[in-house]
Amino acid sequence: MAMFGFLGMTYEFKWSVLWAQPHLTWLIDGLLTTLRLASISWCIAVLLGIVFGAMRTVPFRPVRAIATVYVEFFRNVPLLVWLFFWYFGAPEIFPAIIRQWFIHHGIEFWSAVAAVSVYHGARLAEVIRAGIQAIPKTQLEAGLSSGLSVVETYRLIIIPIALRLIVPPATNESLNLLKNTSLAMTIGVAELTFAARQIETYTAKAVEALTSAALIYLALCLSISSAMNWIEGKFAIPGLIARRTRAEH
Amino acid sequence: MKRSGIVLLVALLVLSFTGMALAQCPSTLEKIKNSGVFTIGVRNGSPPFSFINKQNERAGFANDLAELVHKALEKKLGKQIKLEMKETTPTTRIPLLTSMSVDLITETMTDTRPRRDSVDFSLTFFLTGADFIVKKGTPIHGTKDIGGKRIATQQGSTNERVLREKYPQAQLVTFPDQAAAFMALQQGKVDAYCNDAIQLWGLKYKSATPDQWEVVGDWISYEPYGMAMRKNDTDFRAVVNNALMEAIEGGEYFKLYEKWFGPKSDVPYPMSQAFKTFLLYQVVPK
Repeated sequence: MAMFGFLGMTYEFKWSVLWAQPHLTWLIDGLLTTLRLASISWCIAVLLGIVFGAMRTVPFRPVRAIATVYVEFFRNVPLLVWLFFWYFGAPEIFPAIIRQWFIHHGIEFWSAVAAVSVYHGARLAEVIRAGIQAIPKTQLEAGLSSGLSVVETYRLIIIPIALRLIVPPATNESLNLLKNTSLAMTIGVAELTFAARQIETYTAKAVEALTSAALIYLALCLSISSAMNWIEGKFAIPGLIARRTRAEH
Repeated sequence: MKRSGIVLLVALLVLSFTGMALAQCPSTLEKIKNSGVFTIGVRNGSPPFSFINKQNERAGFANDLAELVHKALEKKLGKQIKLEMKETTPTTRIPLLTSMSVDLITETMTDTRPRRDSVDFSLTFFLTGADFIVKKGTPIHGTKDIGGKRIATQQGSTNERVLREKYPQAQLVTFPDQAAAFMALQQGKVDAYCNDAIQLWGLKYKSATPDQWEVVGDWISYEPYGMAMRKNDTDFRAVVNNALMEAIEGGEYFKLYEKWFGPKSDVPYPMSQAFKTFLLYQVVPK
């Protein structure tokens, strides 16, 4: 809606604010912070997702229960609330020495990493669980009867196949993770959205500043999805998952 | 979808865009007269200028001044006008104004030259400067002590800009709102919070333990507050300015100042003689 008003009033576009200094430095620093935040969080989230997603499928009730509690607890609270919790709440529980260390080593950033990775870990766990459960039970039984232990069967057979199955939904989750890092600005992390808003408040050029952020997110997301497409094709097991022929062709 | 369908859709979209753009061209006075509503931009948490008080009502010095403008508007337009208040923040207030969502920003907005590129300002109705609020006993007494210290600021504020440009040795942690910044200070996650002195005094007095906090510093910036409105809207601006001039001349302004900043108020902040003279000189002859 705001756009219409802008057009009605005499809004003058001035795209040069984006590459005028120090604005360009802010954008680049913001982009780097976003990438750092997203990649660290993604690695932790994938680890959490694999561990808890697998735990949700094992034939042993207490293990499943632990994983279910984790998933339901962390995915059912909004990420913004988790960010406030990890920044304003959680550090207060730690001893003063550890807290002081974090305060002087980027507590805002690490709180954001904790919030994003634990939240998306829970969501990825569900994706991975779905992938594992899509594999016929006979695979597990065959693994066990060939002399492998449960852990070995999971590590050597179930997880490798499940990871291939879940590439499309996992891509979706990864893109969400990247975009959700923008919420970290609420706890003082100077990421990409923060940089765009910073330019906006210095220059009052909202359209230019926010468009630049939007285009950068778009470019990042498109490159992630094409990379994931490539991975999907590269690691496909011939004959196992026949997804190479697309429906629209 | 068929191609002609898409063309039709695009044409409709473009039409509605231009239609809305054209429909929103009238001056602020016409807009208020036609809609019967005067919308001001206020704040939830900037005591004593604009905030939500313990009775859960919007209140504050700037809100009271806006009421005076509201009365002047009703007199000027000769009809009853509804006064609506909308929450704004330093980052949203200029877009809300230019998009016609609010007609007048009445809170703690500093009049600056870059901002005058985007909006017009009324007379200056308050004068302050940026200081720091710290926990009592913190070895920060002013800008000479902030090197390497973690200083909280509010995104989009003028003090953030001054700190970033003039004191790069300080480590800035920038929050979108005052509540988050003060919370971080209370938890010891930052060493000081920098904002306009009067707002820091407001925070100190509104906090659960006022004695625990100290406002230090010697005004690293000069912050004249004005009411902001859309650019090049001379008639509306005259109504706002005349209302303020009449309030200063007729003494109503000083009564309100006494209510919010007098010795019996929550935030005692005596008016300097220089500011009083400055206020009176802003009133042009009748």
